[in-house]
Amino acid sequence: MKNLEELKKIRDRVRKDLELRTGKHRIKIVVCLGTCGIAAGARETMNTLIDLIAKKDTPDTIVTTAGCAGFCQQEPMIQLYIEDKEPVVYGKVDQKAAEEIFEKHILKGEIVEKYLFSKGK
Amino acid sequence: MYNLRAHVLLCYGGACISSNAGSVKETMEKAIAKAGLQNEVDVVTTGCMGTCELGPIIVIYPEGVFYQKVKPEDTEEIVQEHLLKGRVVKRLFYKKPKTEEMVEMFNNIDFFKLQRKIALRNCGIINPLEIEEYIAADGYMALGKVLTEMTPQQVIEEIKKSGLRGRGGAGFPTGLKWQFTAASPGKQKYVCCNADEGDPGAFMDRSILEGDPHSVMEAMMICGYAIGADQGYIYVRAEYPLAVERLSIAIEQAKKNELLGKNILGTDFNFDIEIRMGAGAFVCGEETALMRSIEGKRGEPRPKPPYPAQKGLFECPTVLNNVETFANIPFIILNGAGDFASVGTEKSRGTKVFALAGDINNTGLIEVPIGMPLGTIIYDIGGGIPNNKKLKAVQIGGPSGGCIPADHLNVKVDYESLQELGAIMGSGGLIVMDEDTCMVDISRYFMEFIQEESCGKCTPCREGTRIMLNILERICQGKGKMEDLDTLEELSRQIKQTSLCGLGQTAPNPILATLRYFRDEYIEHIRDKKCRAGVCAELVYSPCSNECPASVNVPGYLAYTKEGNFQKALEIHLKNNPFPAVCGRVCPHQCEAKCRRNDLDSAVSIRSVKRFMADSIDGYLKCFPEKQNSNGMKVAVIGSGPSGLSNAYFLTILGYEVTVFESEAKAGGMLTYAIPSYRLPKNIVKKEIQALSLYGVKIKTNTKIGKDITIDELRKQGFKAFYVAVGAGDSIMPPIEGIDGNNRVMSGLDFLYKINNNEKIFVGQEIVVIGGGNTAIDAARTARRMGADVTIVYRRTREEMPAEIEEIKEAENEGIKIQLLQNIKSVKSNSNNKLAVEFVNMRLAEFDKSGRRRPVEIETSSFVKEVSLLILAIGQKPSLDDLFDKELVKLNRDGTICCSSHKGETMSEDIFAGGDVVTGPSTVVEAIGQAQRAAEAIDKYLSGGQEEYPWNIMDAIEVKFDPEEEPVDYERAKNILLPVEKRDSYMEVEKTWDRVTACKEADRCLRCEFKKEEEGI
Amino acid sequence: MGCPCDEKELTDKQKYKQLKEFINESKNKKGYLIPVLHMAQVIFGFLPPEVQNFVAKEMNTPVSVVTGVVTFYSYFKIFPTGRHTITICLGTACYVRGAKKIMEELEKKLGIKIGETTEDKRFSMGVQRCLGACGLAPVIMIDKDVHGRISAQKLDKILELYK
Repeated sequence: MKNLEELKKIRDRVRKDLELRTGKHRIKIVVCLGTCGIAAGARETMNTLIDLIAKKDTPDTIVTTAGCAGFCQQEPMIQLYIEDKEPVVYGKVDQKAAEEIFEKHILKGEIVEKYLFSKGK
Repeated sequence: MYNLRAHVLLCYGGACISSNAGSVKETMEKAIAKAGLQNEVDVVTTGCMGTCELGPIIVIYPEGVFYQKVKPEDTEEIVQEHLLKGRVVKRLFYKKPKTEEMVEMFNNIDFFKLQRKIALRNCGIINPLEIEEYIAADGYMALGKVLTEMTPQQVIEEIKKSGLRGRGGAGFPTGLKWQFTAASPGKQKYVCCNADEGDPGAFMDRSILEGDPHSVMEAMMICGYAIGADQGYIYVRAEYPLAVERLSIAIEQAKKNELLGKNILGTDFNFDIEIRMGAGAFVCGEETALMRSIEGKRGEPRPKPPYPAQKGLFECPTVLNNVETFANIPFIILNGAGDFASVGTEKSRGTKVFALAGDINNTGLIEVPIGMPLGTIIYDIGGGIPNNKKLKAVQIGGPSGGCIPADHLNVKVDYESLQELGAIMGSGGLIVMDEDTCMVDISRYFMEFIQEESCGKCTPCREGTRIMLNILERICQGKGKMEDLDTLEELSRQIKQTSLCGLGQTAPNPILATLRYFRDEYIEHIRDKKCRAGVCAELVYSPCSNECPASVNVPGYLAYTKEGNFQKALEIHLKNNPFPAVCGRVCPHQCEAKCRRNDLDSAVSIRSVKRFMADSIDGYLKCFPEKQNSNGMKVAVIGSGPSGLSNAYFLTILGYEVTVFESEAKAGGMLTYAIPSYRLPKNIVKKEIQALSLYGVKIKTNTKIGKDITIDELRKQGFKAFYVAVGAGDSIMPPIEGIDGNNRVMSGLDFLYKINNNEKIFVGQEIVVIGGGNTAIDAARTARRMGADVTIVYRRTREEMPAEIEEIKEAENEGIKIQLLQNIKSVKSNSNNKLAVEFVNMRLAEFDKSGRRRPVEIETSSFVKEVSLLILAIGQKPSLDDLFDKELVKLNRDGTICCSSHKGETMSEDIFAGGDVVTGPSTVVEAIGQAQRAAEAIDKYLSGGQEEYPWNIMDAIEVKFDPEEEPVDYERAKNILLPVEKRDSYMEVEKTWDRVTACKEADRCLRCEFKKEEEGI
Repeated sequence: MGCPCDEKELTDKQKYKQLKEFINESKNKKGYLIPVLHMAQVIFGFLPPEVQNFVAKEMNTPVSVVTGVVTFYSYFKIFPTGRHTITICLGTACYVRGAKKIMEELEKKLGIKIGETTEDKRFSMGVQRCLGACGLAPVIMIDKDVHGRISAQKLDKILELYK
């Protein structure tokens, strides 16, 4: 590399990957990946969310997974934890729903009522 | 391109690799591919995460779930459960030592929580083999910053402002070093990195080189820019092949990316780095020797000045810093000197990396703010000492350092505070030593080390250390003389003053530190031929006997019991201890903690075998040793507790005529009046005291010395010597209102005395016992047997309770509540004719002299509880009343008798003392041991002494034993306890084994004494 | 330490050639005696007088200087060693955790003392003052592999791995 600018470019390219490990996140999306969730398409929902994070460049958001939440008819379910806000649970989140929730709730902070399952702890 | 959703970080530090991290990586990658997750999940190998004891380690991000001791066969489950289904694999979680509580998240483990990572900021996070990962973590940005925005002088100023001091040992300010070198005239200058980490017990440099090599290289370049050097050398030990390998890869990658070489980042700065391998010479850690070694010469140190800053490598001005020092530099440049300086103490800024090793639960690598108390490092981060052993000392600073004893746990770990205690920060090896470490042997070990590593150039270091080593070896073999200690100190002084380099100048430090804090142990080796840790082979008969305060020949009576020869077994026991049936019930059996069988499965149940052996024989008379010829001299023993009676017994063996005076109606002291009969039935005590009477010990009860008869009167009656063993029968009461004269408040001893004396006590329904010792537990379990609800309140935590663990457990089994971290504050009588007791919650603060955390009240946390009887058992002290005139003996501040020797001599030549009245409340077997030694002192006073006393001779064991044969393979037999629901009376809780169980258990003994006999030592 | 091209035993001639090449490559580097000796030991397994003489000649250095350096550093061996080198760590942490017992056990098992080689040339045994793996104390190193948390019982299994 010839100069500092090139160095910074490499840094910015790889940094996103490293941010997964630094543990500083504002928003955490938990996808329920129980057997029922997977059967209902939770993996696709999860992949959609991960792609969206990359596309919209929101590195302060992470996706993690959890086991079955127990409301199988509501699967795929996701829980949304935003710093200083009440946790929100959405049900029946297919790929389309995931996009909508991402657009409205994660980017703009508006709860998407039609998928809302519960609020608070 | 795929977007990764998870990273599986696998620690690839040296320790984890040797714990098979390689296979874990392989199977993990396969399992991920099999699950089709290779595009979602990445496996990243990182440098050392620090928790070496727990390896191989996996941390899964973004959640930060921490899995420990992962085996290749576990990886499938991690992938299937965690990565695929989002269910964490609990069985691989970290478990807290002692509580066994499971911890899921990386950041919730105390080991990590209390750390602050600067030098290790990337270790365990990035893959050291990928330069891009380092760059992503702002790598080489600091270099970019200094090359484009700062002048060399500004860089030096920034480092100076940060207060960074050399992390290799002496703590010289790094900025100043750079300044001096920059100011030195000369065209060619060098930057050297000292990675010849030789201090045993320190491995932080290795971990940094293996886990984050680029950070060191970047720092060397920054230094090169600041001082005007274009060449760097990293001098690394040949014993660190992995570090050399990763460093070489890092240098290659940096060259490929044009971060090393000419015109770095488009500026006119050039820099190159070369690795030089050491070749196994400890002295090369010394800077002048190291530079000679790089020059290709013998690594002998040379005198300073000139300092390396003026004339270093190849006679050119040179900066030499160690690995950890360099690893801090990029952080300082990027985050500013102020950020760095805000961590640590006034004089020692920043953090320090420590290697935790030795007898500690969490071994590994940690980085903490300088100035953290040692106790916090050992207990909160290190998780304390394994196997319920006691901390003895912490060795810090390697062979140039010293050891800090357990009573200084509150010391702040910084350069100055450690120096005050005779230790040094050194490179940061913290080796924790438990009670099984012999401090004389450790001194010998360090001297041997120095002896071998001395380069031989200076005579004091070469010859002086050899003489010191010889002396220490002699002491360890029991052939030392008291004068040796002065010689060691004198030699230490001389070697320190006259050696050329740091190695010699600091060589005596470990010896001086142990002489300062553990002089007692040296003296025991020399005077008593005893190694209390059981390490020095020549002085140890067997670990169990060595540990026994009465030095009972444990392998002896176990061997005869195994054969069914109970009479012979008892004979062996009685020679050293006339209370086998009592000790078979109440002895805390320290011997079992030292039993070598612990390493195999679990200790021999020595106490229970002893109990069976003693119970199997009714009359001891035929088993007592033959009395020596009567010498007609009369000795008076005051107090008929275990110490008094034993002393009378030992003197009787030696031919004296002994009378024991007891103020109470019955003999036995605490055995009769304190220990409850569910633990020690009175007929057992009676049996052993009667045996002593028959043997010839005269006992006069209801006779109080000082009231019924005085010492002077006894002297006139012809008593030539006195052994005072009146125990510690006075209870210590807390200084709070409402206790005095309140008939619903009593001391633990008082309560037990009344019960044992069959006096009637009203206890009511709610009893609270304050205290955590055996008296508290005895009182509580006794009260429980009277049908009351009993609560024990103790001001510290369970770990600090002095009572025996088994007793605490049984108390809880019997339904006694234990409230920890609480204390009483005040006591009032209320209208219901009960007590209104005010309690307060406590918390543990800093460490005190006892090596425990001091309990302090939590303000405004008090509460009131109604109690029918309050029993206080917080401590005991001797009650000497009007025993004798004040001029006869000197007392210590705590009321115990001050003895001029360990044999119980007092300031009056005919008065000796032993047992609780000297030690404060202690155990039966300790009291017996003291009685032995006092008997020797009395004999010496009256008859000039004998060469060897019967109890110091270990008789040959004539039981066939084949050391080649495999030991019997069954587990330790269990004790038989009365079911809890039947424990409503004072019936004994534990049952004596049957013959088969006892003989089989005795056969588990490994006969550790055996080898020695064969060799004839 | 094994030879980098273990599969085929080189002839002495080839070995000297290899060493000469290395010396020529690094001739103009400053103070390169020790790296050369490291390489020589990798190639020959130890540093007998002939090799020391060769190094001295090729590097234009007096033999006395080469021998002085070789004897100063414990890492350089002047006697042949076995196929595998067992290094017992006697660092403080290992010592506190019972390294002495391990050493005695190994001496018993192999019938050799520290610094010696078994008759069948399978093992040489030496000690080191800290291998830097204190977290796993006690440790031993066989060739380049570090084995941690060693106990007397584990030794047989580990030795089995090295034929």
